[in-house]
Amino acid sequence: MIKTDVIIIGGGATGCGIARDLALRGVPHCLIEKGDYAAGATGACHGLLHSGGRYVVSDPVAAKECYDENLILRRIGEKCVEKTGGLFVRLPGDSKRYREKFLRSCEEIGIPTEVLSATRALELVPNLNPEIEEAIRVPDCSIDPFRLCMLNMRTSELKGGLSFTRHRVIKIIQSRGRCIGVQATDAATGEILEIHANIIVNASGAWTNLVAKLAGCEVPLTLSKGSLVITNHRLTDMVINRLRPSSDGDIIVPNEAVCLAGTTSQAVEDPDKIRIEPSEADVIITEAGKMIPHFNQTRIIRAFSGVRPLLQSSKTDSREISRGFQIIDHQNGMYSIVGGKLTTFRLMAEKMVDTIMNAFNLKRECETAEKPLDGQEELSGYPLSKRLADMKNIVCECELVSRADVERIIQQTSTRHVGDIQHRTRLGMGPCQGGFCTFRALGIMQDHSILTPDESMQALRDFLQRRFRGIRQALWGDQLREEQLVEYIYLGILAMERKK
Amino acid sequence: MSVVEYDIVVIGAGVAGLTAGARLAEHGYRVALVTTGEPTACLSTGCIDLCANGARPLYAARELPREHPLHLVSDTDIAEAFGRFLEVMRERGRVYTGSLEHNRCVLSALGTLKTTCLTPAGMAASPQSDNEVIRIITFSGLKDFYPKYILSRFAHASFSSYDAGASTTMGIASRLERDEYLEAFIVWLEKLDIRENKIGLPAVLGMKNTAEVIRRIESRLERPVFEIPTLPPSMPGRRLFNDLKDHFRNKGGDIFWSWPVVGVEKAGGLIEAVFTRTEGKPNSLNARAFVLATGSFVGGGLTATRQTITENVFDLPVHVPSGREGWFDEDYFSPDHRIGKVGVCVDSSFRPEHSHWENIFVCGGILAHAQILKNGCGHGLSLATGYAAAGSCAEYLK
Repeated sequence: MIKTDVIIIGGGATGCGIARDLALRGVPHCLIEKGDYAAGATGACHGLLHSGGRYVVSDPVAAKECYDENLILRRIGEKCVEKTGGLFVRLPGDSKRYREKFLRSCEEIGIPTEVLSATRALELVPNLNPEIEEAIRVPDCSIDPFRLCMLNMRTSELKGGLSFTRHRVIKIIQSRGRCIGVQATDAATGEILEIHANIIVNASGAWTNLVAKLAGCEVPLTLSKGSLVITNHRLTDMVINRLRPSSDGDIIVPNEAVCLAGTTSQAVEDPDKIRIEPSEADVIITEAGKMIPHFNQTRIIRAFSGVRPLLQSSKTDSREISRGFQIIDHQNGMYSIVGGKLTTFRLMAEKMVDTIMNAFNLKRECETAEKPLDGQEELSGYPLSKRLADMKNIVCECELVSRADVERIIQQTSTRHVGDIQHRTRLGMGPCQGGFCTFRALGIMQDHSILTPDESMQALRDFLQRRFRGIRQALWGDQLREEQLVEYIYLGILAMERKK
Repeated sequence: MSVVEYDIVVIGAGVAGLTAGARLAEHGYRVALVTTGEPTACLSTGCIDLCANGARPLYAARELPREHPLHLVSDTDIAEAFGRFLEVMRERGRVYTGSLEHNRCVLSALGTLKTTCLTPAGMAASPQSDNEVIRIITFSGLKDFYPKYILSRFAHASFSSYDAGASTTMGIASRLERDEYLEAFIVWLEKLDIRENKIGLPAVLGMKNTAEVIRRIESRLERPVFEIPTLPPSMPGRRLFNDLKDHFRNKGGDIFWSWPVVGVEKAGGLIEAVFTRTEGKPNSLNARAFVLATGSFVGGGLTATRQTITENVFDLPVHVPSGREGWFDEDYFSPDHRIGKVGVCVDSSFRPEHSHWENIFVCGGILAHAQILKNGCGHGLSLATGYAAAGSCAEYLK
């Protein structure tokens, strides 16, 4: 049997956040999770670190919490937050009144916004629907929920906290009306582990009521299933939201090489029995496609669902229910913490631990907002977004070769042959086979006075001729299509002379 | 399945589809236009070429080989189509220059003079010979514009470079739409003390308010300003598309954006509906007539397989002059790649030949024997055949 001060049931963002907070305030604790960390709604969400914009009109309090937490997490969790920025796009027909309310509410709360013309928005995210009326920039970010949980647990581990994953709580031990411990089964061995503590925190998300019942308590929740899809491409470098009241499929979030789009919102009874309806995926793709038309053609690699534990209310549409959170004192040594969202997990943990400190009559301030997450020094951060950020001057989009790469080879080799640059940088080796970038590489060589314009024109002509020798054998399907485009650009738009 | 009824469904949002759609809508018909996305017009220079094989576009068009689709459009219809286009653009504050009598030149980013018929406002002052005395303004970091290509062909040209803080055409265009940014740019230009007769810039002078941007630069610098078309993304192409699209909508047309056609309902010699897929359920767009303006390969109207070439919406017969080995000549710069002749053959009423459909009308780049690059007949062909096919369609619906 293990003895500790606090038992946390649930290894989602909230539970992991509570473990970290307790660790930093020196309170012994033990976390029990029936699966792995982030296995529930935490790992089945967008991975959107809200700016608050999504809720600013319907729930300004929640929006303010989101924005404050957004600032904190960007600061303390550098390696699990990708600072993408976000856009709220207004499509033709979307309410202008909502736009006005949105901007006014953001200003009242202090969420920074910038109204962008359609042209400017298309520059930032070229895949956007060119029909958009305008876009409003907000500080949305992308966040890795798995990494976030692991880093929170790292602090707990460093301070001697205990944790057991793949252990399911089967019993809450009570004595004289008070909860004094739990029994949990090890999924691998079937062995039963018994842990005693003074306080039990039920942070089990959609399973909160099921856990509470083990102690004879009730936590009335509305379970709301949200489904999402993942594309095989990163179609946008920014978070894209629809500028309208929350609805299905109005958020797209880039995450490394992919994009996530969602969500839906459907009330469900049992968090262990959820399935995705085919129509849900269709609705998400169609709605996301209105903001980024490529969605309709892009490969969808997976769909998945999470279950939001929302505070029950009389409102029938689960979207109308507050995304705020609540701590319930069951008056028997057990607390349940419900509601909230990934973005506000730290604040939820802080309030929960404040309550625990009170109960223990201990005084130590929360430090989770100031201290960077432990263990980040070992992580690489976001390689893809870093690479993209460094590549402001990409001249070969297929192979991600920058102007600086080309200039470096020119300086190192003083070459007069564009082929030498290609062999040393992979410029022109991708799908368009140099159709776009050779013109640019030759232009850069002119800028450095390596070639005269006449020479570079001849080099371009020779290159196109040489390239065609190989391509000609493979001209059908999309390759033929691309070839026709390249021909159209050189012979049409650039009016290149056929013969010299 | 949801079913929507129209008089005409146009497939394709390029110059041909939007021209045909607008003309039919002006006749009072209920017109829907479906498109999978942006047309190739967005990649274009925004110029309207009719026939570049000589100094006089209409005359040169009449010299084209007998089978060329421009011969299906009467002189009157071509004149009407171009006249209407000029009028629409003028109403929208985009004055095009040129006429069917004389071809004009537009300076390309390679320094060559491209022959065209009508040029958008930004290119009205484009040099007509390489003797002209011009100053090129470029933007440092702009990856698709290298002024030295132009300098090598113009004895009296020089260039200056402005740091716009952006490396794409779209990026600079969006900045120049902002007043304070434009003002700073003009102040910088004034300090250059430009003595040349004209000022040329890559085509980045705003998106919506190009005319105003040009007017402001011209009045302060006291000399004409012209834009030089760039590689895609092309601002002039996008402006042209936006104007035609808005015009079509103003005439009452509906656009179904991002709606690929996935099926067709037929009965006897008639097409009754096209199916699209959206919101997870099939949608049926029923109509009495259909205008096919899906373009060639780049536009997505035609697809080449290893064996043959097919038309993607109605599976119409496609004119394919040879087996795959003959589609392209060995010389890349050959003007006679046979792939340029591939397309759908139509009769004098723009109905597809060798098929029994009575209510399909075909126009634009998908037409066989066009050889658009060889003949320099891109948007002009679309404008003329789109207009004429709409006339034929309206005649049929009477």
